[in-house]
Amino acid sequence: MAKIDNLNETEQEILEIIKTVPDPEVGVNIVDLGLIYEVEHFERDKKIEIKMTLSARGCPVGDTILMHVQTVVSNMFPGYYVDVELVWEPQWTPELITEDGRAEMDNGF
Amino acid sequence: MHAGLSTKNAPSPKVVLPYYAYGSIAFIIATIVMFFTAGDLAVGFITPKILSLVHIMILGWITMIIFGALYQLIPVVMEVKLYSEKLAMASFITLGLGTPLMAISFWFDFISDTHLMMAGGSLVIISVIMFVINTLGSALQTVNKTIENKFIVTSIFWLLLTVLLGLSIVLFPNILTYGSFQIHIHLGIIGWFMMLVVGVASTLMPMFFIAHQLNKNCLERAYWAINGGLIILLASMFFDLGNYAKIGAGFVIALGFMMFFKYNFGAYKKRLRRSLDIGMKLSVLAFTLFVITIITGFLSAFGSIIDASILTKLNLIYGVSLIFGFLTTLILGQMYKTLPFIVWLKIYQDKVGKFKTPLPADMHSQEAADAHYFFFIGGFALLMGGIIFSEAVLIQASALFMLVTASFYGYNTFKILAHKEKLKPLTFPKMKPRVAIKK
Repeated sequence: MAKIDNLNETEQEILEIIKTVPDPEVGVNIVDLGLIYEVEHFERDKKIEIKMTLSARGCPVGDTILMHVQTVVSNMFPGYYVDVELVWEPQWTPELITEDGRAEMDNGF
Repeated sequence: MHAGLSTKNAPSPKVVLPYYAYGSIAFIIATIVMFFTAGDLAVGFITPKILSLVHIMILGWITMIIFGALYQLIPVVMEVKLYSEKLAMASFITLGLGTPLMAISFWFDFISDTHLMMAGGSLVIISVIMFVINTLGSALQTVNKTIENKFIVTSIFWLLLTVLLGLSIVLFPNILTYGSFQIHIHLGIIGWFMMLVVGVASTLMPMFFIAHQLNKNCLERAYWAINGGLIILLASMFFDLGNYAKIGAGFVIALGFMMFFKYNFGAYKKRLRRSLDIGMKLSVLAFTLFVITIITGFLSAFGSIIDASILTKLNLIYGVSLIFGFLTTLILGQMYKTLPFIVWLKIYQDKVGKFKTPLPADMHSQEAADAHYFFFIGGFALLMGGIIFSEAVLIQASALFMLVTASFYGYNTFKILAHKEKLKPLTFPKMKPRVAIKK
């Protein structure tokens, strides 16, 4: 599966769409938080696979974030099967937050 | 369902929200009662009015919000569904009815087995038993045997002992000679409130601070120190073992709390989010005020070694800094970290991705939150001054500041509870035409 630092054009486009999804607690988009691990686009099978994690187990809004990703990607790719998989390995660490994410976090509420 | 997710485990909002509404109203009433109790607080002895005020604060405000918050947080901490939503609703009704009955009985009849007291006390005990069944029933289902869960489960046992002993004091006042009043207070304060706070705060604070890789060994040590110290303290009160046993117990308990403090301070230092929102600002203030509780609590253990008038004030500052200081501030702050999410999920869970929704942090008035933050600090400082200088006027002024605090807090609570759906169209980043992608 394509890691997020090695995406083709369509997969980058998918990542941009996922950037519209914020973590409701932090107010920063989940891509810059480093929660998206892998994105893969299968043109022939009309399928998109996304692997992601959460910053904490038991996150009260975890289901909602996953559903949000699924909905926005499905909206932009009608007819595609969008599979959002939650993984706990590798464990998320703060090092995964991008520079933009860090800046946004401190400018936030 | 994905392991570790809690949204589907969360109870129906109608189970949890009434607790927040009731708690915020009880806090307003408590500040009004405090105004008329100022004279008694300035003197410092236990009086009918003080017992009435304390029970409105502890049962109507603190326990009410803790029960509600815990029904919501159990899925987060234990990663299971709540054992029974019906029991949770029934425990709200019984606690909500029992608390005013007890408060009225204390005000007019002090510690006596009036009909009001018997009815109110029984309702509160029934509520607590239902809460115990519910939380232990949930704890039995969890495979998540963390130290935080151990704190929560242990606190529930101490809570049961607290209320059973409280009712026993009313029924059999002659047991007061066995230090049962002090035991009741310390079971409630250290065993129930503090043990629970340690368990819940140690889960939530690192989560909200976004702090990772924390060493949980100090929480293990805190567990054994606080419980061990508490048992020694209770035994020294029951068998009247004298001051040295109490000092030893006080030292061990204080050590335990310092371990807990160290763990949370570690989370604070490692936090990624440098700017603190109002919820976390209040939580940090709570921990700062907790230092007063630890110091005065430990000094109180010296008992008769200290001059009687100073000891009375120490005891009062110990109790007041815990109830009006640490616990109240923590609840004020954690409301902003829990209630908006519950309401947000209820309203927007099915709308995300289809519309642009507000964030949970946008659902309250920031001006009201900032105002009650400063009014609380002013009110608390006046309260401490009033106790230290035995000045009822300062305590009355404090009550007015606290009333403003409670009113702004209540305004924000009800603003969040009454939040109406606000949706905007989604805006997406500009994409290249689909045709180009398919080439």
